[in-house]
Amino acid sequence: MSGVVSSEAHKPATERRTNHGRGFLIVLIAAITVVVPLLLPLTAYDLNLSMQAATYAVAVVGLTIVLGYTGQINLAQAAFFGLGAYSVALGTVSFGLPFWLALFAGIAIASIAGVVLGLTSLRLGGHYLAMVTISFQQILTLVLTNWILLTRGPDGIWGIARPIVFGFSFADGGTYLALCVGALWMVGFCVERLKHSKLGRAMQAVRDNELAAGVVGVDTYRTKVIAFTLCALLGGLGGGLFAGGFTYISPDQFSFAESVVFLTMALLGGVRSPFGTTLGAALLILLPEWLRFLKTTYLAVYGGAVILLMVFMPEGIWGLLETLRKQVWPPAVLPVGRVAPLPLITWVGRETDSAILEINHLSKHFGGLKAVDEVELSVRRNTVHALVGPNGSGKTTLLNVLSGIYKPAKGRLLFDGQDVTGLLPHERAKRGIGRTFQTVRLFTSMSVLENIIVGAERPGNEVAAGSTGVEQHALAALDFVRLTELREQTVQSLSYGHQRLAEIARALAGNPKLLLLDEPGAGLNTVEKGELVQLLKRLKVHGLTVLVIDHDMNLVEQVADRITVLNFGRRIADGPPAEVLRNPEVMAAYLGNVKTHGAP
Amino acid sequence: MLKRMIYQKVALAGLTVMLTCFGRAAEPLKIGIVAPLTGPAAEQGRDKIQGAKLAAEEVNKAGGVLGRPIELVIEDDQTTNPGSVLAFSKLAGDKNIPAFLGPTFSTQIHAIAPDIQRLGKPVMIGGTDPQLTHMGNPWLFRFRPNDVYSARVIADYGVNTLGKRKWAIVHSTDAFGTSGMKNVVEDLKGMGVEPALVQSYTSNSQDFTPVVLAVKQSGADVMATYMTLGVDQAIFARQLRQLGVNIAWVGSPTTVQTTALKLAGPALFGCYAAADFNADSSPAAKEFAAKFEATYKSAPDFHGAWPYDAIHVLALAIDNAKSLEPQKICEAILSVKGYPGAEGTYNFDHNGDGLHSYNVVKNDNGKIVFIKHIDFSE
Amino acid sequence: MGMALQLLFTGLGLGSIYALVALGFVLIYRATNVVNFAQGDFAMLGAFSMVVLCVDLELPYWLGILITLAAMLVFGALFNSAVYYPLRNRGFQPVIISTIGASILLENGVLAAYGPRPQTLPGFFSFPGFNVGPIFFDSQYLLILGVTVVMVTLQYFFFERTLLGKKMQATSQDKEMASLLGIPVALMIMLTFMYSSALGALAGILVAPILFVSVGMGSSIALKAFAASIIGGFGDVTGAIVGGLALGVVETFGAAYISVPYKDAFAFIVLVLFLLFRPQGLFGEKVAEKA
Repeated sequence: MSGVVSSEAHKPATERRTNHGRGFLIVLIAAITVVVPLLLPLTAYDLNLSMQAATYAVAVVGLTIVLGYTGQINLAQAAFFGLGAYSVALGTVSFGLPFWLALFAGIAIASIAGVVLGLTSLRLGGHYLAMVTISFQQILTLVLTNWILLTRGPDGIWGIARPIVFGFSFADGGTYLALCVGALWMVGFCVERLKHSKLGRAMQAVRDNELAAGVVGVDTYRTKVIAFTLCALLGGLGGGLFAGGFTYISPDQFSFAESVVFLTMALLGGVRSPFGTTLGAALLILLPEWLRFLKTTYLAVYGGAVILLMVFMPEGIWGLLETLRKQVWPPAVLPVGRVAPLPLITWVGRETDSAILEINHLSKHFGGLKAVDEVELSVRRNTVHALVGPNGSGKTTLLNVLSGIYKPAKGRLLFDGQDVTGLLPHERAKRGIGRTFQTVRLFTSMSVLENIIVGAERPGNEVAAGSTGVEQHALAALDFVRLTELREQTVQSLSYGHQRLAEIARALAGNPKLLLLDEPGAGLNTVEKGELVQLLKRLKVHGLTVLVIDHDMNLVEQVADRITVLNFGRRIADGPPAEVLRNPEVMAAYLGNVKTHGAP
Repeated sequence: MLKRMIYQKVALAGLTVMLTCFGRAAEPLKIGIVAPLTGPAAEQGRDKIQGAKLAAEEVNKAGGVLGRPIELVIEDDQTTNPGSVLAFSKLAGDKNIPAFLGPTFSTQIHAIAPDIQRLGKPVMIGGTDPQLTHMGNPWLFRFRPNDVYSARVIADYGVNTLGKRKWAIVHSTDAFGTSGMKNVVEDLKGMGVEPALVQSYTSNSQDFTPVVLAVKQSGADVMATYMTLGVDQAIFARQLRQLGVNIAWVGSPTTVQTTALKLAGPALFGCYAAADFNADSSPAAKEFAAKFEATYKSAPDFHGAWPYDAIHVLALAIDNAKSLEPQKICEAILSVKGYPGAEGTYNFDHNGDGLHSYNVVKNDNGKIVFIKHIDFSE
Repeated sequence: MGMALQLLFTGLGLGSIYALVALGFVLIYRATNVVNFAQGDFAMLGAFSMVVLCVDLELPYWLGILITLAAMLVFGALFNSAVYYPLRNRGFQPVIISTIGASILLENGVLAAYGPRPQTLPGFFSFPGFNVGPIFFDSQYLLILGVTVVMVTLQYFFFERTLLGKKMQATSQDKEMASLLGIPVALMIMLTFMYSSALGALAGILVAPILFVSVGMGSSIALKAFAASIIGGFGDVTGAIVGGLALGVVETFGAAYISVPYKDAFAFIVLVLFLLFRPQGLFGEKVAEKA
């Protein structure tokens, strides 16, 4: 088989056939669920329940994007739901707009609100971001309740009309339900596809390891804003459909309690998949109804059931089903065939005098501690430059300043002739700085290959466009570090040494002009270290420029062309290895005060 | 041998026929009830069911409806709008239910109104938002006087009987409070009085100090209130007294609702209220109160009174109509005139409003004293 | 001027309720890195327990308090075992949902057991309060303020000066390290839950005479208390107190001078401003991620 591999075709033949079969089955089920309400006369009760389930599900699928894929908590989904619902209600009732226009307006308004909320994520995460979303939710509920002039206040709005398309009316309950279910399927399908797209991978990278994502080239802020916007968009869509379904809305239906319900639905069903979240929505709407026979205690039982489900099914119900499926139907891995060699940027031949990286007077302080103190460093092209020093000498801090994770107190960074001192991590990645971390930072929920692909998708990487090119490139990087057989494995199943290699492959896939390696030997045993040294030598042969930090002198000696030594944040030596390693100050730094015994 | 077999067969046949006849005769008539069993209004839901049950037992003792005993089928609306919709549609799916008791809260009635319209069967309601009977839905029958009348009574009593012209109006922001406020303002304007303060608050506030201070600042000598929840009523009353405000107070029926009275204690002494239900307002009310107290060991308020009336009137109407057809039941209800209920005397107008009167009552050191009955029936 | 002072007093009184509940949040968060959505319901349980003991069974007030606090200590241990412990390694989202489930369970369980009518609880003092000039000092609010001060002081001494307190602090700062030092981490966390539970119950007992006892009384306080703890600096005990008091005052003044119906919005607007411009709150530390 030639090296031409498409993103679909690289899946094994058996899985491809299963995928097609599964795809067909899903489309069939979708068609049936849409057609059933059109044909079967359902009771008002069943219709109401199903409409609620379907429209809630659309909103909850939005949470899949922002929470499942991107890992950000959103407790304002009911607010977006409400914006959509009120747009449709006010639009059709107060302003006499046609349903579709009002729905479109609702989606637009909700999306704008989502952008605003996303923008606040610039400096916040975790609980803080959750609180911003809660505040937004509470404020919106109060506005809906009290701005009576616009929203008709607590009275709510009734008489919401259902859409008419080319004379075909959706007023009938069954028909409208079919519309909602159809919308749900389309949304679910799109969101599922999103997971395997460039944006989807970027989102998952942000969730798994935001720091690494930025360094690898993902614009984390923009990704988060997009995630919130899409989530809000779906919330607005669900709300608009909900309004048309129940034909009466009031502010108390869009309160914080509802946001909590949405979140619970998502987590119970399985937040990482639109099927999971839909399942969760359906279940949490049906469960209280099934438990009605318990009369007054059913909500208490429902609360208890939530706890039990959380304890025994952490990935949600869908996660459980997926795990079972993988055990019953484990996907086989096809051999991939010959792959074009990795086109690393090189200046093969001679060591040039032009520096690719220049660090001038760099200082970084933490309070009173001068972690990096007036360091000067110059890395020449096509060399392996090592930065060494005892623990606490400021090596990693310096590297973090280089990556853009820390802002320097003083000094300038010049990369490839341009001043990059003020750039964000992903902007530096764009210029061609690649990096690995002291403790491996891979994206744990993605496979090894997907991790590399994220690296290959760095902006500014001159790779053949389209998924084929990117995948090819990623496979090439993987091949370079000799990990091709492990490409479909999850990251956690790899040995630490292999994880390290995978991280390096991810950086290489981005065609870096300069590769920063932070303690690549840390945590490796002797054998693994030997493999690492071989890899570094091969990189050197290819002419890649590398800046390595390590305190294992043995390793450094074998590969470095030049060594810079730091101690207590200051540079104490800089030059070829032979010279530096005999420097008494260096020896003193490492070994303490060495009394030279014997002859000089 | 053969004779015995024939005897047995005949006996068996006869027994079967008799049982079938009795069976059909004894088959219960289901009435659906949407009530809050859970959620913030669970206590009012319990009162509602108690009132309805009391009436149902009385009707059954007297022979039932069309010879059949009433069976109440209750669904929990969770005190929410979607909950009401689901509860009602569940009941609506049972074809054997000819009529329903709907919610007490106006906002919930609005939520299920479209479904009621689609179903086309009569629903007895307890919400006081005047709009409910003026929106073209012919299936709603109201068993409490709507807020047009309560507002009129409050304004009239305050201005004309108490002689106060500087008004503060405190109301909750929900449908009930806002519409009550609007009606009072309109009535006052009609008497040439401009309110000194109109202050709204959101239900479930835990602290009313700002509201109390606003009332104090306004210099009002009389206060009208439309408060939805008994707990809010009580906290407000307490803080009002603590901050030294003792002006005349004429409030909506919540002011003398059982929960509010129990929680507020002395803080509510001395205030007046427009109350649709009061045990001393009529012999029928007295009788109902006595029965309710005897059965459930607590005094009833309007939450239990209107369902009591509704079941009785419904039974009467179905018996008069001699049919379970929705249209016929509706006509029969509308023809009810002069029926002495616990809430008052029912004279149904063409909109479906059964009552057009209110009582003025006073909280006299904890005892609710009946002052007078004001009737607006044309 | 009189009005402003009155508002200030009421605001502080309300704020100290938020502060007490916020304390409970902060303690659990520091120990487990998780927000307990059922914190408000501890207050509700405490209040209901007092109603059962002192109103229904007519036990003396002090005995009722003792029994309630003891019972809530046990309840805290149960809560830890059932709701937190099985999920302790799963990240904070499952625990949040689990605590939400617990909240629903508790509120509706009490509803089913006790019935829906709100209850009264007599105040600790038999006199309602006293006037100084135009300002009325509600005796129960004064008690709440007083108890808050006492609790904070006691807590300070406990955590800073006793060995057990320091062990609990160590656990909350670095579980792994504490474990390596021989501190029984699971036990420390259990103790944290027990203490938070009793603290929450105390808040409920104190606030019941003012707000009356109903199943929903806890949740409405809890959210604002959570906001208060963030304004004060999440994870910081002083912050929880200051945040709570500040929130109560902001809310009351906002209601009086700007708009009563939007009263709840002020709390959240202030919170958003803090989150955008000073996320570490008034007293919190900037949290930096180690690269």
